[in-house]
Amino acid sequence: MLSLIKRYRDLILVAGLLLLPFFTFVTRGPNGREPYLVDRWVLALSSHVQRAFAWALDGTASVWTGYAALRGVEAENRGLRAENQALRAKAMEQDELRAENERLRSLVAYADKKQGQEVVAKVVGVDPSSTRHFVRIDRGESDGVTAGMAVITPDGVAGYVERATSGWADVILITDATHRMGVRDERTRARAIAAGTGGKADLELRLDYALRKDDLAENDAIITSGTDGVYPAGLRVGTLSRVEQRGSGMFRAGSIHPAVDPTKLEEVLVLPKVAVPLPAPPAKEPPQGAGAPGTGGAGVPP
Amino acid sequence: MKMLVTCLLALLLLSLEAVIVQKLGLSVTRIDVTVAIIAFLALRANTLEGAASSFVIGYLLDLTSGRYTGLYTFLGVFLFILGKMVASLVDVRSGVMFALYAMGGDVVHVLLAVLFSWLTAKEAVGAAAILSGLPLQVLLTGVAALALYPLLRRLDRGSDRPQLGTLR
Repeated sequence: MLSLIKRYRDLILVAGLLLLPFFTFVTRGPNGREPYLVDRWVLALSSHVQRAFAWALDGTASVWTGYAALRGVEAENRGLRAENQALRAKAMEQDELRAENERLRSLVAYADKKQGQEVVAKVVGVDPSSTRHFVRIDRGESDGVTAGMAVITPDGVAGYVERATSGWADVILITDATHRMGVRDERTRARAIAAGTGGKADLELRLDYALRKDDLAENDAIITSGTDGVYPAGLRVGTLSRVEQRGSGMFRAGSIHPAVDPTKLEEVLVLPKVAVPLPAPPAKEPPQGAGAPGTGGAGVPP
Repeated sequence: MKMLVTCLLALLLLSLEAVIVQKLGLSVTRIDVTVAIIAFLALRANTLEGAASSFVIGYLLDLTSGRYTGLYTFLGVFLFILGKMVASLVDVRSGVMFALYAMGGDVVHVLLAVLFSWLTAKEAVGAAAILSGLPLQVLLTGVAALALYPLLRRLDRGSDRPQLGTLR
């Protein structure tokens, strides 16, 4: 027996190398496993290398663009001044609205719970395989970024943090095939689920589980519903590009053109976790020694 | 030693690929640098060393592609074994031949990745979209293989110790 093992040692080892990951894949499926300590070390190393490459490429690009930018700087300056004037006017208008909002909040005794600070992060890399949609950002647990936090841009929702270590985090994009989030039609308030399709060429999202009787129309703005425990309500997701018309059944589907182009992400904003409030318990005297009612925590998207 | 250098090179190239793809804004395609390295291993390395290196390279790709699933680790070793079998049938001596060999490997790699992902989660794979980006991906992998060939040969030669008494 031992001589047989010795004779076929190489073959057995190669078969082991082949079957071990295959067994992992079959048992764990496409969701995989949480990173082990060794995985985290390797990822931290690759993250540092990526940062160095990104820094070097950015440096080279900024030297070139700095030179090129000087050529049209006067015309651009004039344009920016005009834009600045318009923005200042808009900011004043928003100050008015904010003040009014504050007054209304105090009137209805709204408790403004500040849960944490937003973190600005830079995208330093993308996934090297063709089957996933995620980007790596240069902020991690040491900056307050943890798994489950929503990631947005000024245009709308980009994704959520799937894993984070001290100096970086991986963000699953809304176009990834495993991504789901609760959404709402801004016009009619109809709720549905937006699912990533994993498509690299057409970056559309799939609209699922919209009630057939709901009023949905093409070009309707789609926003987050705030029901998934990850994304706050009211963030822009995209616009309805197609709505399925069905004569029967309970639900209907459609397509959403995302507001954010995941291929052009550069800087993003990581939002603090949202707390989903549980319904208040019935108002009756708690028994002696009973604990305080719990609050809902953030979870993963549906 | 050769295995360690190969794996470090794979890590460097994967990190570089991740940055370049992001800077170029490539949405449709990726550059499979790992396939080029595994193809080279299939041509030059012995079975056990090559399989172990392919395992580590696949593990790195798996780790940097979202959650660790084991798929790319399995495909790395599988591609190495397949490449080893094909290598006995073809004569790869030039950079262009190596590029073609790596491109063939990339086609197999992507098709198997899509197939296995589809088998485990049918609706969660944008198979059509991935396959639509395949031609450009294969072409870019071929270009990368052509560019990497001299470097890989140098590394391979540098780590070989000449046997005593061999006529050179």
